[in-house]
Amino acid sequence: MSNLETRLAAYVASRVPEARDVRVSGLDRLFGGASRETYRFVLDYDTEGGRVSRRLILRRDPAGSLIETERAVEFGAYRAFHGTPVPVPEALWLEEDASWLDHPFFVMEELVGLEASPQAIIGSPYAEHAESIARQKWTILGEIARADPIALGLDRVMTPVAPQECWQRELLRWERVIDDDELCPQPVIRAAIRWLRRNPPPPPARVSVVHADYRTGNFLCDTDGNIRAILDWEMAHLGDPLEDLAWGLNPVWRWARDERAGGLATRDVAIAHWERASGLRADPAALHWWEVFSSVKGQGIWVSGAKEFSFGANQDPILALSGWLMGNSQDRAALLQLGHLS
Amino acid sequence: MKPDPQRMIEVTAAHLMMRTAPALEKGYEQSSVGLLAVLLLAVREEYDRSAARRVEENRALRAIFADGARVVREGAPELAKRLEAAAHGEDPSLVISELERTNAELRGLVIDLHARIEEIDAPEARRIEVAIWAELVASTERRRLSLGTF
Repeated sequence: MSNLETRLAAYVASRVPEARDVRVSGLDRLFGGASRETYRFVLDYDTEGGRVSRRLILRRDPAGSLIETERAVEFGAYRAFHGTPVPVPEALWLEEDASWLDHPFFVMEELVGLEASPQAIIGSPYAEHAESIARQKWTILGEIARADPIALGLDRVMTPVAPQECWQRELLRWERVIDDDELCPQPVIRAAIRWLRRNPPPPPARVSVVHADYRTGNFLCDTDGNIRAILDWEMAHLGDPLEDLAWGLNPVWRWARDERAGGLATRDVAIAHWERASGLRADPAALHWWEVFSSVKGQGIWVSGAKEFSFGANQDPILALSGWLMGNSQDRAALLQLGHLS
Repeated sequence: MKPDPQRMIEVTAAHLMMRTAPALEKGYEQSSVGLLAVLLLAVREEYDRSAARRVEENRALRAIFADGARVVREGAPELAKRLEAAAHGEDPSLVISELERTNAELRGLVIDLHARIEEIDAPEARRIEVAIWAELVASTERRRLSLGTF
Protein backbone atom coordinates (compact mmCIF):
# COMPACT_ATOMS: atom_id res chain seq x y z
CA MET A 1 0.00 0.00 0.00
CA SER A 2 1.18 3.57 -0.70
CA ASN A 3 1.64 5.95 2.19
CA LEU A 4 -1.77 7.53 1.60
CA GLU A 5 -3.40 4.10 1.25
CA THR A 6 -1.83 2.98 4.55
CA ARG A 7 -3.03 6.10 6.36
CA LEU A 8 -6.50 5.77 4.86
CA ALA A 9 -6.67 2.12 5.96
CA ALA A 10 -5.69 3.19 9.49
CA TYR A 11 -8.46 5.77 9.46
CA VAL A 12 -11.10 3.27 8.29
CA ALA A 13 -9.96 0.82 10.99
CA SER A 14 -10.61 3.53 13.56
CA ARG A 15 -14.11 4.17 12.17
CA VAL A 16 -15.18 0.55 11.75
CA PRO A 17 -14.25 -1.19 15.02
CA GLU A 18 -15.49 -4.60 13.82
CA ALA A 19 -13.18 -4.47 10.79
CA ARG A 20 -10.01 -6.59 10.80
CA ASP A 21 -7.19 -6.70 8.25
CA VAL A 22 -8.30 -3.41 6.68
CA ARG A 23 -6.74 -2.85 3.25
CA VAL A 24 -6.92 0.07 0.85
CA SER A 25 -5.77 -0.48 -2.72
CA GLY A 26 -5.97 1.10 -6.16
CA LEU A 27 -5.93 4.67 -4.85
CA ASP A 28 -6.13 6.78 -8.01
CA ARG A 29 -6.69 10.50 -8.33
CA LEU A 30 -9.56 11.50 -10.60
CA PHE A 31 -9.41 14.45 -12.97
CA GLY A 32 -11.70 17.40 -12.26
CA GLY A 33 -13.19 18.27 -8.91
CA ALA A 34 -11.30 21.56 -8.81
CA SER A 35 -12.54 22.42 -5.31
CA ARG A 36 -11.39 19.12 -3.72
CA GLU A 37 -8.91 16.38 -4.60
CA THR A 38 -10.96 13.35 -5.57
CA TYR A 39 -9.58 9.80 -5.43
CA ARG A 40 -11.15 6.40 -6.03
CA PHE A 41 -9.99 3.40 -4.02
CA VAL A 42 -11.00 -0.11 -3.03
CA LEU A 43 -11.57 -0.89 0.64
CA ASP A 44 -11.39 -4.48 1.90
CA TYR A 45 -11.72 -5.80 5.43
CA ASP A 46 -12.80 -8.89 7.36
CA THR A 47 -15.76 -9.03 9.71
CA GLU A 48 -17.40 -11.91 11.52
CA GLY A 49 -19.84 -12.05 8.61
CA GLY A 50 -17.08 -12.41 6.01
CA ARG A 51 -14.87 -10.29 3.80
CA VAL A 52 -16.26 -6.84 2.84
CA SER A 53 -15.10 -5.11 -0.34
CA ARG A 54 -16.29 -1.66 -1.44
CA ARG A 55 -15.28 0.84 -4.11
CA LEU A 56 -15.19 4.25 -2.52
CA ILE A 57 -14.37 7.89 -3.20
CA LEU A 58 -12.13 10.09 -1.06
CA ARG A 59 -12.76 13.83 -1.29
CA ARG A 60 -9.87 15.66 0.35
CA ASP A 61 -9.40 19.40 0.82
CA PRO A 62 -6.52 20.78 -1.25
CA ALA A 63 -4.16 23.58 -0.23
CA GLY A 64 -5.95 25.92 -2.66
CA SER A 65 -9.01 25.45 -4.83
CA LEU A 66 -11.37 27.01 -7.32
CA ILE A 67 -13.72 27.93 -4.52
CA GLU A 68 -13.55 27.87 -0.74
CA THR A 69 -16.21 25.46 0.35
CA GLU A 70 -17.52 23.78 3.47
CA ARG A 71 -16.98 20.04 3.43
CA ALA A 72 -19.54 19.57 6.22
CA VAL A 73 -22.19 21.13 4.01
CA GLU A 74 -21.33 18.89 1.09
CA PHE A 75 -21.25 15.80 3.29
CA GLY A 76 -24.52 16.84 4.95
CA ALA A 77 -26.23 17.28 1.58
CA TYR A 78 -25.19 13.80 0.44
CA ARG A 79 -26.43 12.34 3.71
CA ALA A 80 -29.72 14.26 3.60
CA PHE A 81 -30.69 13.39 0.03
CA HIS A 82 -29.61 9.74 0.07
CA GLY A 83 -32.70 7.58 -0.50
CA THR A 84 -34.85 10.48 -1.73
CA PRO A 85 -36.00 11.26 -5.32
CA VAL A 86 -32.74 13.23 -5.62
CA PRO A 87 -30.17 10.50 -6.39
CA VAL A 88 -26.81 10.84 -4.61
CA PRO A 89 -24.02 8.46 -3.57
CA GLU A 90 -24.01 7.19 0.01
CA ALA A 91 -21.77 9.35 2.21
CA LEU A 92 -19.87 7.35 4.84
CA TRP A 93 -17.42 9.33 6.96
CA LEU A 94 -16.57 13.00 7.44
CA GLU A 95 -13.22 13.82 9.04
CA GLU A 96 -12.29 17.36 10.04
CA ASP A 97 -9.07 16.33 11.82
CA ALA A 98 -6.24 17.06 9.35
CA SER A 99 -3.81 14.76 11.14
CA TRP A 100 -5.19 11.65 9.40
CA LEU A 101 -4.52 12.63 5.76
CA ASP A 102 -2.90 16.10 6.07
CA HIS A 103 -6.16 17.82 5.16
CA PRO A 104 -9.83 17.32 6.16
CA PHE A 105 -11.76 14.89 3.97
CA PHE A 106 -14.80 12.72 3.59
CA VAL A 107 -15.46 9.30 2.10
CA MET A 108 -18.43 8.22 0.02
CA GLU A 109 -19.60 5.40 -2.22
CA GLU A 110 -18.20 5.19 -5.77
CA LEU A 111 -20.82 4.69 -8.49
CA VAL A 112 -19.04 2.74 -11.18
CA GLY A 113 -19.33 2.83 -14.97
CA LEU A 114 -21.11 6.18 -15.21
CA GLU A 115 -20.28 9.36 -17.09
CA ALA A 116 -20.12 12.95 -15.86
CA SER A 117 -18.06 14.72 -18.53
CA PRO A 118 -20.20 17.26 -20.44
CA GLN A 119 -18.19 16.64 -23.62
CA ALA A 120 -19.09 12.94 -23.37
CA ILE A 121 -22.73 13.53 -22.48
CA ILE A 122 -23.36 15.66 -25.57
CA GLY A 123 -21.99 12.81 -27.74
CA SER A 124 -23.02 9.24 -28.48
CA PRO A 125 -24.48 7.17 -26.85
CA TYR A 126 -25.81 9.80 -24.43
CA ALA A 127 -26.92 12.33 -27.05
CA GLU A 128 -29.56 9.88 -28.28
CA HIS A 129 -31.18 10.27 -24.85
CA ALA A 130 -30.78 14.06 -24.61
CA GLU A 131 -34.51 14.72 -24.18
CA SER A 132 -34.80 12.15 -21.42
CA ILE A 133 -31.63 13.35 -19.69
CA ALA A 134 -32.92 16.91 -19.86
CA ARG A 135 -36.28 15.92 -18.38
CA GLN A 136 -34.57 14.09 -15.52
CA LYS A 137 -32.02 16.85 -14.98
CA TRP A 138 -34.57 19.62 -14.48
CA THR A 139 -37.08 17.37 -12.74
CA ILE A 140 -34.48 16.42 -10.13
CA LEU A 141 -33.65 20.10 -9.73
CA GLY A 142 -37.36 20.71 -9.16
CA GLU A 143 -37.28 17.98 -6.48
CA ILE A 144 -34.39 19.77 -4.77
CA ALA A 145 -36.44 22.98 -4.80
CA ARG A 146 -39.45 21.11 -3.45
CA ALA A 147 -37.55 19.40 -0.61
CA ASP A 148 -38.03 20.68 2.95
CA PRO A 149 -34.58 21.62 4.29
CA ILE A 150 -35.74 21.33 7.91
CA ALA A 151 -37.24 17.87 7.42
CA LEU A 152 -33.94 16.84 5.81
CA GLY A 153 -31.99 18.23 8.77
CA LEU A 154 -30.05 20.56 6.52
CA ASP A 155 -30.83 23.58 8.65
CA ARG A 156 -28.17 22.16 11.01
CA VAL A 157 -25.37 22.54 8.46
CA MET A 158 -26.66 25.38 6.27
CA THR A 159 -27.07 28.94 7.51
CA PRO A 160 -30.73 30.04 7.60
CA VAL A 161 -31.79 32.97 5.45
CA ALA A 162 -35.00 35.02 5.33
CA PRO A 163 -36.73 35.01 1.92
CA GLN A 164 -36.20 38.74 1.39
CA GLU A 165 -32.46 38.40 2.18
CA CYS A 166 -31.61 35.60 -0.27
CA TRP A 167 -30.43 37.82 -3.08
CA GLN A 168 -28.47 40.22 -0.90
CA ARG A 169 -26.59 37.47 0.90
CA GLU A 170 -25.50 35.76 -2.30
CA LEU A 171 -24.63 38.96 -4.13
CA LEU A 172 -22.58 40.23 -1.20
CA ARG A 173 -20.81 36.91 -0.88
CA TRP A 174 -19.69 36.80 -4.52
CA GLU A 175 -18.91 40.49 -4.73
CA ARG A 176 -16.52 39.95 -1.80
CA VAL A 177 -14.91 37.01 -3.58
CA ILE A 178 -14.27 39.23 -6.60
CA ASP A 179 -13.02 42.08 -4.39
CA ASP A 180 -10.57 39.72 -2.71
CA ASP A 181 -9.43 37.63 -5.65
CA GLU A 182 -9.56 39.62 -8.88
CA LEU A 183 -6.11 40.10 -10.41
CA CYS A 184 -7.31 42.74 -12.85
CA PRO A 185 -10.38 45.04 -12.97
CA GLN A 186 -13.66 43.50 -14.13
CA PRO A 187 -15.67 46.35 -15.72
CA VAL A 188 -18.39 44.10 -17.20
CA ILE A 189 -19.03 42.24 -13.96
CA ARG A 190 -18.88 45.44 -11.87
CA ALA A 191 -21.57 46.91 -14.13
CA ALA A 192 -23.60 43.73 -13.67
CA ILE A 193 -23.28 44.03 -9.88
CA ARG A 194 -24.56 47.61 -9.97
CA TRP A 195 -27.48 46.52 -12.18
CA LEU A 196 -28.35 43.76 -9.70
CA ARG A 197 -28.42 46.24 -6.82
CA ARG A 198 -30.66 48.64 -8.75
CA ASN A 199 -33.12 45.88 -9.74
CA PRO A 200 -33.59 43.52 -6.77
CA PRO A 201 -35.76 40.45 -7.33
CA PRO A 202 -38.91 39.64 -5.33
CA PRO A 203 -38.42 37.20 -2.43
CA PRO A 204 -38.87 33.51 -3.30
CA ALA A 205 -42.15 31.73 -2.61
CA ARG A 206 -40.12 29.52 -0.29
CA VAL A 207 -36.53 29.17 0.85
CA SER A 208 -35.11 25.93 -0.56
CA VAL A 209 -31.94 23.94 -0.68
CA VAL A 210 -29.81 25.41 -3.45
CA HIS A 211 -27.27 22.97 -4.92
CA ALA A 212 -25.39 25.99 -6.31
CA ASP A 213 -23.45 24.20 -9.08
CA TYR A 214 -26.28 22.30 -10.79
CA ARG A 215 -25.24 21.83 -14.41
CA THR A 216 -24.28 19.28 -17.01
CA GLY A 217 -20.96 18.00 -15.68
CA ASN A 218 -22.15 17.57 -12.13
CA PHE A 219 -24.35 14.51 -12.53
CA LEU A 220 -23.55 10.89 -13.33
CA CYS A 221 -25.37 9.29 -16.23
CA ASP A 222 -25.51 5.71 -17.56
CA THR A 223 -25.41 4.80 -21.24
CA ASP A 224 -29.21 4.37 -21.30
CA GLY A 225 -29.55 8.03 -20.41
CA ASN A 226 -30.51 7.57 -16.75
CA ILE A 227 -29.19 10.14 -14.28
CA ARG A 228 -27.89 8.06 -11.39
CA ALA A 229 -26.40 10.68 -9.08
CA ILE A 230 -26.11 14.41 -8.49
CA LEU A 231 -22.58 15.37 -7.42
CA ASP A 232 -20.57 18.35 -6.20
CA TRP A 233 -22.71 19.83 -3.46
CA GLU A 234 -19.82 21.82 -2.03
CA MET A 235 -21.46 25.22 -2.53
CA ALA A 236 -24.94 24.11 -1.40
CA HIS A 237 -26.84 26.54 0.80
CA LEU A 238 -30.35 27.71 1.65
CA GLY A 239 -31.76 30.32 -0.69
CA ASP A 240 -33.95 31.17 -3.64
CA PRO A 241 -34.51 28.06 -5.81
CA LEU A 242 -34.37 30.25 -8.92
CA GLU A 243 -30.64 30.59 -8.24
CA ASP A 244 -30.16 26.94 -9.28
CA LEU A 245 -32.43 27.18 -12.31
CA ALA A 246 -30.65 30.32 -13.52
CA TRP A 247 -27.16 28.83 -13.00
CA GLY A 248 -27.87 25.90 -15.30
CA LEU A 249 -29.27 28.23 -17.97
CA ASN A 250 -26.10 30.35 -18.10
CA PRO A 251 -24.71 30.43 -21.67
CA VAL A 252 -21.25 29.35 -20.47
CA TRP A 253 -22.65 25.83 -20.04
CA ARG A 254 -23.75 25.59 -23.68
CA TRP A 255 -21.46 22.63 -24.20
CA ALA A 256 -22.99 21.77 -27.60
CA ARG A 257 -22.29 25.34 -28.78
CA ASP A 258 -25.92 25.90 -29.69
CA GLU A 259 -28.87 27.43 -27.84
CA ARG A 260 -29.50 24.37 -25.65
CA ALA A 261 -28.95 24.87 -21.92
CA GLY A 262 -26.25 22.52 -20.72
CA GLY A 263 -26.10 21.08 -24.24
CA LEU A 264 -29.41 19.29 -23.58
CA ALA A 265 -32.62 21.30 -23.99
CA THR A 266 -33.94 24.72 -24.88
CA ARG A 267 -34.47 27.19 -22.12
CA ASP A 268 -38.28 26.91 -22.33
CA VAL A 269 -38.22 23.13 -22.05
CA ALA A 270 -35.85 23.26 -19.08
CA ILE A 271 -38.04 25.79 -17.26
CA ALA A 272 -41.20 23.77 -17.97
CA HIS A 273 -39.68 20.58 -16.47
CA TRP A 274 -38.52 22.51 -13.41
CA GLU A 275 -41.86 24.23 -12.85
CA ARG A 276 -43.74 20.93 -13.12
CA ALA A 277 -41.47 19.18 -10.61
CA SER A 278 -41.00 22.03 -8.14
CA GLY A 279 -44.60 23.24 -8.11
CA LEU A 280 -43.16 26.74 -8.39
CA ARG A 281 -43.45 29.35 -11.12
CA ALA A 282 -40.27 30.82 -12.56
CA ASP A 283 -41.21 34.50 -12.62
CA PRO A 284 -39.43 35.84 -15.74
CA ALA A 285 -38.15 39.05 -14.12
CA ALA A 286 -36.92 37.24 -11.02
CA LEU A 287 -35.30 34.52 -13.13
CA HIS A 288 -33.58 37.18 -15.22
CA TRP A 289 -32.12 38.72 -12.05
CA TRP A 290 -30.74 35.34 -10.99
CA GLU A 291 -29.34 34.74 -14.47
CA VAL A 292 -27.39 38.01 -14.34
CA PHE A 293 -26.29 37.04 -10.83
CA SER A 294 -25.10 33.68 -12.15
CA SER A 295 -22.56 35.48 -14.31
CA VAL A 296 -21.28 37.47 -11.32
CA LYS A 297 -20.94 34.25 -9.34
CA GLY A 298 -19.32 32.48 -12.29
CA GLN A 299 -16.75 35.23 -12.66
CA GLY A 300 -16.13 35.02 -8.91
CA ILE A 301 -15.26 31.35 -9.35
CA TRP A 302 -12.99 31.95 -12.35
CA VAL A 303 -11.06 34.84 -10.79
CA SER A 304 -10.55 32.81 -7.61
CA GLY A 305 -9.12 29.90 -9.57
CA ALA A 306 -6.89 32.24 -11.58
CA LYS A 307 -5.53 33.71 -8.36
CA GLU A 308 -4.83 30.29 -6.86
CA PHE A 309 -2.96 29.30 -10.02
CA SER A 310 -1.04 32.56 -10.29
CA PHE A 311 0.24 32.47 -6.72
CA GLY A 312 0.96 28.76 -6.68
CA ALA A 313 -1.58 27.64 -4.08
CA ASN A 314 -2.97 25.18 -6.63
CA GLN A 315 -1.49 24.84 -10.11
CA ASP A 316 -3.96 22.41 -11.57
CA PRO A 317 -4.11 23.47 -15.26
CA ILE A 318 -7.92 23.55 -15.10
CA LEU A 319 -7.63 26.71 -12.98
CA ALA A 320 -5.55 28.53 -15.60
CA LEU A 321 -7.71 27.40 -18.48
CA SER A 322 -10.95 28.33 -16.74
CA GLY A 323 -9.50 31.74 -15.84
CA TRP A 324 -9.01 32.44 -19.54
CA LEU A 325 -11.74 30.54 -21.37
CA MET A 326 -14.55 30.66 -18.85
CA GLY A 327 -13.63 34.15 -17.66
CA ASN A 328 -14.08 35.55 -21.15
CA SER A 329 -17.20 33.45 -21.85
CA GLN A 330 -18.64 34.68 -18.56
CA ASP A 331 -18.18 38.33 -19.54
CA ARG A 332 -19.88 37.58 -22.87
CA ALA A 333 -22.74 35.86 -21.02
CA ALA A 334 -23.19 38.89 -18.75
CA LEU A 335 -23.24 41.21 -21.76
CA LEU A 336 -25.91 39.03 -23.38
CA GLN A 337 -28.00 38.90 -20.20
CA LEU A 338 -27.81 42.69 -19.82
CA GLY A 339 -28.93 43.20 -23.41
CA HIS A 340 -25.63 44.44 -24.85
CA LEU A 341 -24.75 41.43 -26.99
CA SER A 342 -27.00 40.05 -29.68
CA MET B 1 13.49 34.31 -34.74
CA LYS B 2 12.46 31.15 -36.52
CA PRO B 3 10.55 28.95 -36.10
CA ASP B 4 7.72 31.30 -35.16
CA PRO B 5 6.65 31.15 -31.52
CA GLN B 6 3.11 30.12 -32.56
CA ARG B 7 4.50 27.17 -34.50
CA MET B 8 6.67 26.14 -31.55
CA ILE B 9 3.68 26.25 -29.21
CA GLU B 10 1.56 24.33 -31.72
CA VAL B 11 4.15 21.57 -32.10
CA THR B 12 4.66 21.34 -28.34
CA ALA B 13 0.91 21.08 -27.74
CA ALA B 14 0.55 18.41 -30.42
CA HIS B 15 3.42 16.43 -28.88
CA LEU B 16 1.83 16.57 -25.43
CA MET B 17 -1.58 15.61 -26.78
CA MET B 18 -0.65 12.93 -29.31
CA ARG B 19 2.46 11.37 -27.78
CA THR B 20 2.99 12.21 -24.12
CA ALA B 21 -0.60 11.88 -22.88
CA PRO B 22 -1.28 8.50 -24.54
CA ALA B 23 1.95 7.14 -23.05
CA LEU B 24 0.70 7.85 -19.54
CA GLU B 25 -1.63 5.63 -17.57
CA LYS B 26 -5.26 6.75 -17.92
CA GLY B 27 -6.16 9.00 -15.03
CA TYR B 28 -5.36 12.34 -13.46
CA GLU B 29 -1.87 12.82 -14.96
CA GLN B 30 -2.97 11.88 -18.47
CA SER B 31 -5.93 14.27 -18.33
CA SER B 32 -3.74 17.03 -16.90
CA VAL B 33 -1.21 16.69 -19.73
CA GLY B 34 -4.07 16.82 -22.27
CA LEU B 35 -5.36 19.96 -20.61
CA LEU B 36 -1.88 21.53 -20.61
CA ALA B 37 -1.87 21.01 -24.39
CA VAL B 38 -5.21 22.80 -24.69
CA LEU B 39 -3.84 25.58 -22.48
CA LEU B 40 -0.88 25.98 -24.84
CA LEU B 41 -3.26 26.30 -27.79
CA ALA B 42 -5.03 29.13 -25.97
CA VAL B 43 -1.64 30.78 -25.33
CA ARG B 44 -0.86 30.41 -29.04
CA GLU B 45 -4.09 32.19 -29.96
CA GLU B 46 -3.43 35.00 -27.48
CA TYR B 47 0.24 35.43 -28.40
CA ASP B 48 -0.18 37.03 -31.81
CA ARG B 49 -2.80 39.58 -30.79
CA SER B 50 -1.44 40.31 -27.34
CA ALA B 51 0.05 43.77 -27.93
CA ALA B 52 -2.47 44.83 -30.57
CA ARG B 53 -5.57 44.27 -28.46
CA ARG B 54 -4.13 46.16 -25.51
CA VAL B 55 -3.02 49.12 -27.63
CA GLU B 56 -6.41 49.24 -29.33
CA GLU B 57 -8.28 49.02 -26.04
CA ASN B 58 -6.13 51.62 -24.27
CA ARG B 59 -6.68 54.02 -27.17
CA ALA B 60 -10.47 53.45 -27.12
CA LEU B 61 -10.69 53.98 -23.36
CA ARG B 62 -8.67 57.21 -23.50
CA ALA B 63 -11.07 58.57 -26.11
CA ILE B 64 -14.03 57.79 -23.84
CA PHE B 65 -12.27 59.42 -20.87
CA ALA B 66 -11.68 62.67 -22.77
CA ASP B 67 -15.41 62.89 -23.45
CA GLY B 68 -16.42 61.54 -20.04
CA ALA B 69 -14.33 64.06 -18.11
CA ARG B 70 -16.44 66.92 -19.47
CA VAL B 71 -19.69 65.22 -18.44
CA VAL B 72 -18.68 64.38 -14.83
CA ARG B 73 -16.66 67.53 -14.08
CA GLU B 74 -19.46 69.36 -12.28
CA GLY B 75 -20.40 66.62 -9.81
CA ALA B 76 -17.13 64.73 -9.56
CA PRO B 77 -14.16 67.05 -10.15
CA GLU B 78 -11.59 64.60 -8.76
CA LEU B 79 -12.75 61.87 -11.10
CA ALA B 80 -12.72 64.36 -13.98
CA LYS B 81 -9.06 65.19 -13.21
CA ARG B 82 -8.11 61.49 -13.24
CA LEU B 83 -9.98 61.00 -16.49
CA GLU B 84 -8.27 63.98 -18.14
CA ALA B 85 -4.85 62.77 -17.02
CA ALA B 86 -5.57 59.28 -18.35
CA ALA B 87 -6.98 60.67 -21.60
CA HIS B 88 -3.68 62.44 -22.24
CA GLY B 89 -1.60 59.41 -21.29
CA GLU B 90 0.33 57.22 -23.69
CA ASP B 91 1.45 53.63 -23.65
CA PRO B 92 5.04 53.61 -22.38
CA SER B 93 6.14 50.89 -24.82
CA LEU B 94 4.88 47.82 -26.63
CA VAL B 95 6.20 45.48 -23.94
CA ILE B 96 3.21 43.36 -22.97
CA SER B 97 3.68 43.66 -19.20
CA GLU B 98 3.78 47.47 -19.47
CA LEU B 99 0.76 47.57 -21.76
CA GLU B 100 -1.07 45.28 -19.35
CA ARG B 101 -0.27 47.52 -16.37
CA THR B 102 -1.64 50.57 -18.19
CA ASN B 103 -4.63 48.57 -19.41
CA ALA B 104 -5.48 47.53 -15.86
CA GLU B 105 -5.32 51.17 -14.71
CA LEU B 106 -7.60 52.27 -17.54
CA ARG B 107 -10.06 49.42 -16.97
CA GLY B 108 -10.20 50.36 -13.29
CA LEU B 109 -10.92 53.95 -14.26
CA VAL B 110 -13.69 52.99 -16.69
CA ILE B 111 -15.47 51.25 -13.81
CA ASP B 112 -15.45 54.52 -11.85
CA LEU B 113 -16.63 56.52 -14.86
CA HIS B 114 -19.35 54.01 -15.70
CA ALA B 115 -20.71 54.03 -12.13
CA ARG B 116 -20.76 57.83 -12.07
CA ILE B 117 -22.33 58.18 -15.51
CA GLU B 118 -25.17 55.82 -14.55
CA GLU B 119 -26.18 58.31 -11.84
CA ILE B 120 -26.38 61.32 -14.16
CA ASP B 121 -29.75 61.95 -15.76
CA ALA B 122 -28.73 63.74 -18.95
CA PRO B 123 -28.52 62.88 -22.67
CA GLU B 124 -24.74 63.39 -22.76
CA ALA B 125 -24.38 60.87 -19.92
CA ARG B 126 -26.43 58.35 -21.88
CA ARG B 127 -24.16 58.96 -24.89
CA ILE B 128 -21.08 58.18 -22.79
CA GLU B 129 -22.82 55.15 -21.33
CA VAL B 130 -23.53 53.80 -24.81
CA ALA B 131 -19.86 54.35 -25.73
CA ILE B 132 -18.70 52.51 -22.60
CA TRP B 133 -20.93 49.52 -23.27
CA ALA B 134 -19.77 49.41 -26.89
CA GLU B 135 -16.17 49.34 -25.73
CA LEU B 136 -16.89 46.65 -23.09
CA VAL B 137 -18.43 44.50 -25.81
CA ALA B 138 -15.47 45.19 -28.12
CA SER B 139 -12.91 44.43 -25.41
CA THR B 140 -14.65 41.16 -24.55
CA GLU B 141 -14.65 40.16 -28.21
CA ARG B 142 -10.95 41.06 -28.52
CA ARG B 143 -10.21 38.63 -25.69
CA ARG B 144 -12.41 35.87 -27.08
CA LEU B 145 -10.79 32.47 -27.52
CA SER B 146 -11.96 30.00 -30.13
CA LEU B 147 -12.00 27.21 -27.53
CA GLY B 148 -14.54 29.01 -25.31
CA THR B 149 -18.00 27.50 -24.85
CA PHE B 150 -19.73 30.83 -25.45
